[in-house]
Amino acid sequence: MSGFLDSIRCGDCECSAVDWGERRNTMASIAAGVLFFTGWWIIIDAAVKYPQQESFNHAYHACGVIATVAFLMINAVSNGQVRGDSYSEGCMGQTGARVWLFIGFMLAFGSLIASMWILFGGFVVPQKPVVYPGIAVFFQNAFIFFGGLVFKFGRTEDLWQ
Amino acid sequence: MAGIKALVALSFSGAIGLTFLLLGCALEQYGVYWPLFVLIFYVLSPIPYFIAKRISDDTDSASNACRELAYFFTTGIVVSAFGLPIILARAYLIKWGACGLVMAGNAVIFLTILGFFVVFGGGDDFSWEQW
Repeated sequence: MSGFLDSIRCGDCECSAVDWGERRNTMASIAAGVLFFTGWWIIIDAAVKYPQQESFNHAYHACGVIATVAFLMINAVSNGQVRGDSYSEGCMGQTGARVWLFIGFMLAFGSLIASMWILFGGFVVPQKPVVYPGIAVFFQNAFIFFGGLVFKFGRTEDLWQ
Repeated sequence: MAGIKALVALSFSGAIGLTFLLLGCALEQYGVYWPLFVLIFYVLSPIPYFIAKRISDDTDSASNACRELAYFFTTGIVVSAFGLPIILARAYLIKWGACGLVMAGNAVIFLTILGFFVVFGGGDDFSWEQW
């Protein structure tokens, strides 16, 4: 009984032309794409269901926009540029890359925190009759944030050399 | 060249996918044609991959990053093709049965497009002169 799962194999993949390292980057890109765009479709859904300003204040869209800008900033610089070991310095150099990444991560964390604030401060505490737009803002920003993280850290740059 | 059989099989599955999409629009109990907007996503889905392949012809550092960006956008287009019918159904523009048919059609069409790339696009002799 204790070893009955040993003989089950998880599907030996015969695509030996592609090694695991290269597939890791592809899988990470696809996962990041699913997360990022699911986040945006969640907020589109909330905007379609509750178009009135009273049930879904349109200013709350800014949170997702800032999260998207942060995603772009984080992924615009490679880890090699931040470490300083890439042969092309880029237009700002290593320090510029670090500052850019720092600001990008601050915007990303800030938009995630802001989405939680919107959910609790704008919907839960005032006991609004419909809480779904607040939940949608929160999940949009959570998905965009994690999509950005997966795209940034899920890919290895060793394959880029 | 992988052969005629693969081509016929892929065109058959493409026809089945489009049939599902059109059933979702044209059946008597549905009758609205909003779901046809997913055709835009079908057309857009191979484009990022071709752009990335065109920009970087050999496997060097920039080409891998470009390819991964293309996968990211292609995934986004596929997700959008599934998200649009759900939003149309939640807004009561189409019925949920139509939404289900459109999503089945999406799955078949995207598997067909993937099948095209697996069967025909993977060769090293892919050249732009074919087009």
